[in-house]
Amino acid sequence: MKFIQIALLVALCAACNSKPAAPEEPDTALYNDLQTQLINAKPGDIIKIPAGTHYFDRPLLLDGVKGVTIQGAGKDQTILSFLGHKAGAEGLKITADSVLIQDLTVTDTKGDAIRVQDAKNVTLRNVKATWSGGAKASNGGYGLYPVGCDGVLIDKCEASFASDAGIYVGQSRNVLVTNSYAHENVAGIEIENCTDAEVRYCRAEKNTGGILVFDLPNLPAGNGKSCKIHHNKIINNNHRNFAPEGNIVATVAPGTGMIFLAAKDVEAHHNEVIGHKTMGAAIASYHITQLKWDDKNYDPFTYNIKLYNNRFERKRAIPDLSKDFGKMVNVYFKGKPQDILYDGILDDKKPKGSNPMNICIDQPQNGLRFANIDAANDFKNIQTDLKPYQCK
Amino acid sequence: MSKQKWIGTLFVLALMLLYSCQNQSPQKEGLTVAGPVQFAADKAPFPKLSDYAFFTGIQRDLQPNEGVLPYELITPLFTDYAHKSRFVWMPKGAQASVDAEGRLSFPDETVLIKNFYYPADFTQPDRDWDLMETRLLLKNKGEWQAVTYVWDEAENDAELNIVGDIKPVSWQDEKGHKQNIEYIVPNKTQCKSCHNRDGVIEPIGPKVANLNKALRYPDGRTENQLSRWQKTGYLVAGDHGQQFAKLAAWDDPRSGSMRDRAMAYLDVNCGHCHHPQGPAHSSGLYLQVDQSDPTHLGICKPPVAAGKGSGGRQYGIVPGQPNASILLYRMEKTDPGIAMPEIGRVMVHQEAVNLIRDWIAELEGNCN
Repeated sequence: MKFIQIALLVALCAACNSKPAAPEEPDTALYNDLQTQLINAKPGDIIKIPAGTHYFDRPLLLDGVKGVTIQGAGKDQTILSFLGHKAGAEGLKITADSVLIQDLTVTDTKGDAIRVQDAKNVTLRNVKATWSGGAKASNGGYGLYPVGCDGVLIDKCEASFASDAGIYVGQSRNVLVTNSYAHENVAGIEIENCTDAEVRYCRAEKNTGGILVFDLPNLPAGNGKSCKIHHNKIINNNHRNFAPEGNIVATVAPGTGMIFLAAKDVEAHHNEVIGHKTMGAAIASYHITQLKWDDKNYDPFTYNIKLYNNRFERKRAIPDLSKDFGKMVNVYFKGKPQDILYDGILDDKKPKGSNPMNICIDQPQNGLRFANIDAANDFKNIQTDLKPYQCK
Repeated sequence: MSKQKWIGTLFVLALMLLYSCQNQSPQKEGLTVAGPVQFAADKAPFPKLSDYAFFTGIQRDLQPNEGVLPYELITPLFTDYAHKSRFVWMPKGAQASVDAEGRLSFPDETVLIKNFYYPADFTQPDRDWDLMETRLLLKNKGEWQAVTYVWDEAENDAELNIVGDIKPVSWQDEKGHKQNIEYIVPNKTQCKSCHNRDGVIEPIGPKVANLNKALRYPDGRTENQLSRWQKTGYLVAGDHGQQFAKLAAWDDPRSGSMRDRAMAYLDVNCGHCHHPQGPAHSSGLYLQVDQSDPTHLGICKPPVAAGKGSGGRQYGIVPGQPNASILLYRMEKTDPGIAMPEIGRVMVHQEAVNLIRDWIAELEGNCN
């Protein structure tokens, strides 16, 4: 008798509750536990995320506590999936100094996978950001995204299928990206408005553009400078460009190894730049984008660039026809991929001479295809002579 | 008890349970609190909202206790059409001053109280509420703390929640349409992602410019808020309303030009993040009501890190072309990877979209 009453009551109560959780339902219990730990964290705490694929519908946030470690059980063991994102666009959003994030994957965020902002001494190690549906314009913009930071280390990380940049460091100082792998993003690795950055021993493969050093106007960090790109494998970056229009990377021509755009004080050496159908490296001022800017302090020019001891091997293919830069290569170079293209746009304020922007190229290899494309004069006077750019 | 009686009892019980599954009609009773406000910033936050006694009598009726002063803003922040009731409490003898920007600078032990609720029928906003949460900003030793309390099923009381929540809610809007959303309660860190100036928690609403309006008070009198605050002793003497231009009411054409109303809306809804010292400073897009630099306002400004938020458009605002303006695109979307503001809404604020659209359409110039 009693049993029946209880059973009836239980049945009636169950009718009040919602359906049992399906496996893709968000793991709210784990989310609440982790987010509570992050809110109550003390300096030096280690917050562990167990192995498994965990579905979350909101971002995990850490703010204002120094020296916290967020640790998974392994890059391919702990997977945080944001397929069911309901609010907030990031997977992890960090505004805290001396944070260490390691041994986990963040996948399928509606916005950026891991964003770290305005923090000192950020480390990402053995972390992966990806989108499981492949290359789509609807994927989030950035995989690993430290911005406005001082002291950034990205080590043994991986990023793929970001609709803007897989590994993107913006408006930061003292940056090192190393031993990392960026593939099938629009931009593989991008350093933007940074001062004192270095990218070494990385692989940038099958992106639209491999490694980009950009400096853009109207940003509080102002002009960046000083970037070293060396001992990287920059391979087969011929992916179609799937960035939404309006973003600067939407202008990158498929088949581009490296781009230095309005960049200053860059050294690129001992990189293997192989298999690009449009160009191995582009050296250009911001004018080439034909975008307007309104920023008195902005320096749109590119100067003090050193390229030496890299290995350039072109892909035998028709250069890209989907973007203006690719079309230009087709028109002016008869459909032949190029190794190094320089826009030749000069700053009138610099002393006159044969190489006022101090572009130095030391690439002694047979058949290197170089050109100053004279972009300022509608490509009227394209020069292929490397002599003015010999390193001193 | 006989078998029949058992079954009858069970039947009644079952009916009661089934009834409790339905949407509850407002009850005539509930948790009741008497006595004065109980607040000590160094002991806060308390576990339950009722522990503070900010509201007297039945808690769900939100009747302010002695010293708990209601206030309204000329142009408020949009939160998924939620109705809000706001109150301020200060300890005896303490008062707010006004800083150079016209922001109120509150004394220690101040509490700002904001209730979020949905009337079942928006044409009758004073009846049959669904209470979501009550957020508090508490000031202790010069620093604000943001906490929220989530109301229980029976709406007797609200419990401290630091981790956030998702609560389904439905209502009938002014046009008679049924609306259903999953209302998002922010977690403690997300509070700071809006209430933030240079990494420090700050109130957003209480500025002279946004408080300078008349309000009907519980005592039946209608009075300008600044003067009522001064009479209460909550605001330092002075003619502050003269000093700072009154904010336009975004939805009242009599309160200002289209530009004034658009700028007021952007200031309140976007300007706390999109500020040189706000969390969105790295975007270079700054949306203050007095922003005079067209690029910072987004006019002909390329996006920085918008990703798919650009919608394939080239600039934040293209004068005369709302459909080419990223700012409007992000207001019209609900995908969390696109939508702006980033948090605090899962719906489109259609009336505001119309205003911003009309304003952009009127702007002169081009980006060529």
